[in-house]
Amino acid sequence: MNAKHISLAGGVLLLGILPFLAGNAYLEHLLVLWMLYALLALSLNIIIGYLGELSFGHAAFVGVGAYTSAILSTQLGLPPLIGLPLAGLVAALFGLVIGYAALRVVGPQFAILTLGFGSILYTVTNHWVDVTRGPMGISNIPPLSLGPVTFTDARETYYLVLGLVLVVAFLCHALVNSRTGRAFIAVRENAPLAASLGVNVFHTKLLGFVVATAIAGVGGAIYAHYIKVITPDIMGVHNVAALIIVVVVGGRGTIVGPILGALVYIGLLESLRVAGPLRMVVFAALLTGTVVFLPGGLVSLWQRWRGNHKAENNATATTAPTTLPNAEGGAK
Amino acid sequence: MNAEILSVTGLTRIFGGLTAVRDVNMTVHAGEVVGLIGPNGAGKTTLFNMLGGSLPPSSGRIRFDGADCTGEPSHVMGQRGVSRTFQITSVFPSLSALDNVRSAAYRTTKAGWGASVFRTAAYRREEADLHRRSMETLAFCDLDHRADILADALSYGEQRRLEIAIALAAQPRLLLLDEPAAGMNPEEGQRLVEMIRRIRASGVTVLLVEHHMRVVAAVCDRLFVLDHGVKIAEGPPAQVLNDPEVIRVYLGRETVDA
Repeated sequence: MNAKHISLAGGVLLLGILPFLAGNAYLEHLLVLWMLYALLALSLNIIIGYLGELSFGHAAFVGVGAYTSAILSTQLGLPPLIGLPLAGLVAALFGLVIGYAALRVVGPQFAILTLGFGSILYTVTNHWVDVTRGPMGISNIPPLSLGPVTFTDARETYYLVLGLVLVVAFLCHALVNSRTGRAFIAVRENAPLAASLGVNVFHTKLLGFVVATAIAGVGGAIYAHYIKVITPDIMGVHNVAALIIVVVVGGRGTIVGPILGALVYIGLLESLRVAGPLRMVVFAALLTGTVVFLPGGLVSLWQRWRGNHKAENNATATTAPTTLPNAEGGAK
Repeated sequence: MNAEILSVTGLTRIFGGLTAVRDVNMTVHAGEVVGLIGPNGAGKTTLFNMLGGSLPPSSGRIRFDGADCTGEPSHVMGQRGVSRTFQITSVFPSLSALDNVRSAAYRTTKAGWGASVFRTAAYRREEADLHRRSMETLAFCDLDHRADILADALSYGEQRRLEIAIALAAQPRLLLLDEPAAGMNPEEGQRLVEMIRRIRASGVTVLLVEHHMRVVAAVCDRLFVLDHGVKIAEGPPAQVLNDPEVIRVYLGRETVDA
């Protein structure tokens, strides 16, 4: 327990001094992207990792947040830092409506419905030129600021997003250690059993979905104010795939996993720039390889190592029996 | 006789042209262990699913603890204090045995996400209490030494006991057991009989569907017999199991098969 706290403090400290180690603006920019993807992946992880449903619509909620804050600040001149929570709120409202409809079904049907809703939002954004300026996108988005507080350069934005990542990570930690989070996981593991224990499966899923979309909206808004230009591509299938890859490759259902997955994604995305469009092939291979060889994601390597380590230290440790359930057959 | 905890009147369930359960009346009193037997396809599990709320009845009424709860969904019945196990082993596979039981205490815990974020005193008290209670439940089902093992890795007999531990963690008033002895060897069956007796001693009413006559005769105060969805007999085991009609539709065939 104590060692865990020390490594946690060490990790946070390292994240805190990273911009000073980066040394140049380009690396600092990558750090911001890493944290943004970590934030978005942590939110998607609530749906994929805790609720056990695959959403192909998450990028759409990122886009809703980004466009909300961008439109509020460019058209209405609202201070961007006020637009941030509003972006989360609007994304959550979209999440509530879409989740209310889509969460009636589970598994592949749910995944396809979210893909459909995501595509609708993408298409509307692309064609509703009066509001979103269509494929041209919105440019000259002001940086995040409120009075004297500004987040203009990469380093400032990095600390803002790092703070949010740490807050969301703690929220996730608190979630899985609460009655609410245990209900999430019970629904993922065995929905009929969870229902028989008094869990309202639909409401539980809707809560997780809405929280996840709200965080995605805030993440999208920060992205918009940081990059200063957004186009409908933010909702595109490329971004959908990226978020899923980050969560699955890092390790779904864990907190470190999505953060680690975001690092791998951003790192590879940049280092493979020379490969051009072939990058996506590499990512596809990475996703496939992870699902086949490492279903628990990268973090499961660490868990596996720790498991072996424990077994070596503790010779009397009971190992899991290999007895297959149901070996004795059904009944009668 | 204790007060009645469950009463079913005229319960019927029709699937298309098939009447799986027809006009069943039954009463269960608090503190009883009641068995529901009948040949395969008699409608026992259909009846169970209606009592557990996972299947709405076509007609008839279900009263639990004085309240009409006909057609209420599964989670509402769960909240009311009806816990169930399933015919096919049903646990939370990738959680440890302890986490299985902890997750099952949803009905009896209160501190949610907010309390957990702020680490309130009530939250810390409840978590400590939950841990203690969960270990007690595991010990009750003789699984405390397996607390950290993933449910998936438990043996079949252990998984069946874990199912009961999960159902008990919800601190039910009425426990519905669907073929708890299925696939168990005689020794495990004997353990199950003792466990059901201890469950009754702790004040939980039990309704069980079972095929193992030895288990049924050993634990049940009363039996209901279903055949083709119709109740054909009820009464104490000694009487019901000697009823010629029951022997004809059910036990006779079992004996011939065996």
